[in-house]
Amino acid sequence: MASAAAPAAQSAPPSLSLPPSQFARLQPHAYLLAHLSPPATSNQPSIRANGRAPSQFRITSANTGSLTHTNGSAVVRVGDTTAVCGVRAELLPTEDIASWSVSRSAAATTNKRRKLTDPTQKLTEEIGDESDLDADADDQSHIEDLNLLVPNLSLSTGCAPGFIPGAPPSSLAQSLSHQILALLHTTRLVRAEDLRVWYQPPNLGAEDLERHNESEQMDVDAEEAGEKDKEIKAFWVLYIDVMIVSLAGNPFDAAWASVLAALRDTKLPRAWWDIDNEMVVCSDAVSESHKLTLRGMPVASSFCVFEADAAAGWRAVIIPDAEEERQIEESNRKGVQRRWILADPDGYEEGLTQERACIVVDKKQGGKGKLVIVKMEKNGGWALDSEELRKLVDISAKRWEDVRQVIGQC
Amino acid sequence: MVGPTTSLTPLSRADGSASYQCPATGANILGSVNAPIELPGRRDALKPEDATVEVFIKPGTAPGGVGERYVEGIIKSMLGRLVLGREKSYARRGIVVTLAIVGGESKPRGDSYLTVLPALLQTSLLALLSASVPLSMTFSATVLGVNTLGEIIREPAPTDAAAATSLHVLAFSSKGHLLLNESRGSFDFDTWERIRQRALTICHGTLSGSPDGDVAMVEDVDGQPLEGVVRETVEDKYHQDYAWKIDAA
Amino acid sequence: MNKEAPLSITERDFILNALRENVRLDGRESDQLRPLSISFGQEYGHVKVKLGKTSLIVRISSEVTKPRDDRPFDGIFTIALELTAMGSPAWDNGRQGDLETYVTNVLDRVVRHSNALDTESLCILKGVSCWSVRADVHITDYDGNLIDAACAGIMAGLQHFRRPDAVVKDGQVIVYGVDERVPVALNITHKPLSITFHTFDEGNRVILDATRKEEQAAEADVIIGMNNAGDVCFLSKFSGSPVDAMVFVTKSTVAQEKVKEINGVIDKALQADLAKRAKGGMLEESRAENDR
Repeated sequence: MASAAAPAAQSAPPSLSLPPSQFARLQPHAYLLAHLSPPATSNQPSIRANGRAPSQFRITSANTGSLTHTNGSAVVRVGDTTAVCGVRAELLPTEDIASWSVSRSAAATTNKRRKLTDPTQKLTEEIGDESDLDADADDQSHIEDLNLLVPNLSLSTGCAPGFIPGAPPSSLAQSLSHQILALLHTTRLVRAEDLRVWYQPPNLGAEDLERHNESEQMDVDAEEAGEKDKEIKAFWVLYIDVMIVSLAGNPFDAAWASVLAALRDTKLPRAWWDIDNEMVVCSDAVSESHKLTLRGMPVASSFCVFEADAAAGWRAVIIPDAEEERQIEESNRKGVQRRWILADPDGYEEGLTQERACIVVDKKQGGKGKLVIVKMEKNGGWALDSEELRKLVDISAKRWEDVRQVIGQC
Repeated sequence: MVGPTTSLTPLSRADGSASYQCPATGANILGSVNAPIELPGRRDALKPEDATVEVFIKPGTAPGGVGERYVEGIIKSMLGRLVLGREKSYARRGIVVTLAIVGGESKPRGDSYLTVLPALLQTSLLALLSASVPLSMTFSATVLGVNTLGEIIREPAPTDAAAATSLHVLAFSSKGHLLLNESRGSFDFDTWERIRQRALTICHGTLSGSPDGDVAMVEDVDGQPLEGVVRETVEDKYHQDYAWKIDAA
Repeated sequence: MNKEAPLSITERDFILNALRENVRLDGRESDQLRPLSISFGQEYGHVKVKLGKTSLIVRISSEVTKPRDDRPFDGIFTIALELTAMGSPAWDNGRQGDLETYVTNVLDRVVRHSNALDTESLCILKGVSCWSVRADVHITDYDGNLIDAACAGIMAGLQHFRRPDAVVKDGQVIVYGVDERVPVALNITHKPLSITFHTFDEGNRVILDATRKEEQAAEADVIIGMNNAGDVCFLSKFSGSPVDAMVFVTKSTVAQEKVKEINGVIDKALQADLAKRAKGGMLEESRAENDR
């Protein structure tokens, strides 16, 4: 870029004009503003510096199963932001869990019974059905109490300038890890049942413990008698490692999409309790392994708000109150726009904006059902209020369709 | 509804401090602000013409973890917009906000932290006021939960929060802007709209705008609006500190 | 950074010269403590300590964990102290300084290594589960003598704290909530406290309970950890200029006296709190029910 700019600067007499690349670096705010609000005479559409429309997301692609030593993996690219996610499952025997043999007295008796009857409820439950949401309330507490999901995100060295080797995890990486974990818990994406390794003493018939929910034909009395001795011997712990290989803005959307794709790809080997060796044994036959059944498919969309006057006043002191603001909005509807909500911001745009929003939505029954908001966050400014957020939810709903296709294809 | 208990400048060493106790959620926060202060260790991160806001959260009975880093990020980006960091003697300096959770239950790993977030925000605002850091506006924050029946619970206790289908933290500026929203759980937009209305009432009371643009705060079922709590805390402190002068006059 | 701004030469000289005339800046005798106040919060093991202008909060918490493999009969007790910018603007958040390591180390030796809390009593089921007790010290205001204040706070907290009752029933540990069974006090074997002295003039002048400025002007410190019975469990002269051996002998008696004094304050506060709880017990209970 610099070489192309050099002859231009030489041929022309020293003037105040700059090649775009230098303008972009020297006056990033004015550069983006000039793109978004072209002079009325030029007849150009308002467009972002990266050539996208304000509500346009970058091209997203996904690829699963590329890491062979993991139980599931995915690579997701959103424009130039690339996230690699690997899921590794490890067995955690219940005897190693300190709190396993501990029960809180208040719920001790009821809780325990619930735990045991849980599989019976599973029999009637249909995958994807919403009825399981209530039935599994206690089920979910296993995942949270025993930390069965362990996501970790690292911003690898060189993913963006400024990430130097050997530095401890930055606060950005730590808070992204937390966001992924919190979202895994609130969406209850992974079923605790998938992570349990059951054992039933053989005198009640050596049925397959892993797939016990296939035993629907079993008569109810025998089932109940069996339930008493049935116990969980181990849990699968899923270590979900996300690596941002290249960071060009909006790491959360890419990271979450990679976690989602990797979990969809995850296969757990068949595991059972070996009574003779007193340990949990896994089968290495691929045919016996089973996939995780996830609850829904939440998709994250992030936005940022670019303000025309952010750097105009050296001291931004006067802030209009909400009423005045609404009047400004009214008058601006036909006239000049002063705020742009940019979907899926790249690194350049993130550096110029302070206000962020992140919306995670899901649609039940594979897209035909109602739209559910799973998480909605906004922070760092006062431009987004209910009206704007409503629009963003609609945009997120469209984004959901796109991401579903991308992830569904692989 | 029992309002929060607050006090301004309970500590002597820090430049500004505040304590805030929310009886409903059980959160008890002690906050301190040191500003403006030199940050020699982070010279590369300092902005040349603006102040740097740093937030540190110290959990009560556990070592800090990723959850704290996340909440620090939220508070930092929110306060960063309110602090007038370009004022004289603030550029290239740091504003260090330290918040210690001195009471209430500790959070397990991966918990959303949403129930204590409003208390943390309110404490940081009071501490900033106590340190007389220039601010463009004040704010008030609250947390609301929606239970399985679709009812809105104000400032849910830990057990209610755990059972809620969705949790929402909203912060409104003194001028009525929505400054922050953090929502978790599953809900639809209309529910959120109801939440927003309720939260606005809790923070600002039932608005009765007078012609001169002043917003009168009226008490209703939600008790005193939170915006008034901030005001009253500062007024009380003022009366206390200037008692000698007021008495003399 | 993590270091207070040094005293100016004139300030240092002033403190020294005053001491030579047996005058301290706040008018105390050389062997006099600053006013000590100890109060308790709503929860068990929540202690607020104020020693002059130094103030801190101690919180004791407990949870069930797996005991260490090499000590299956022992519970776990940890003291966590972190200096934040709240205590003093000179302290950096999230960075460990010399003072932090030093204070943690001394507290560890005085309270933990002297086995003030009987860790064996924390065992629930051998090798499977035990209580892990954690003392978190939050320093809210720093004006010298952190060690003694923190030590008094931790000891008061340990005596005030009640852990939930736990019972083993055929291999299953049942933890009873605080509202179901009367929670259990911790097993305290003795009540050690640390007493810190600072020396000036090559050990000729020794003062007790120095303020921050006196600490900065001092040449060395001497810490004596002792319990009510007069058993010395910790003795340290960590760094600084040499101190005459006789200081240890003479100051031990002073320390003994002060330990009794501080323990008296703690006992009084504990009794007052206990009486308050007994009185408000019924009220508390009915309110707790309503909460749910």
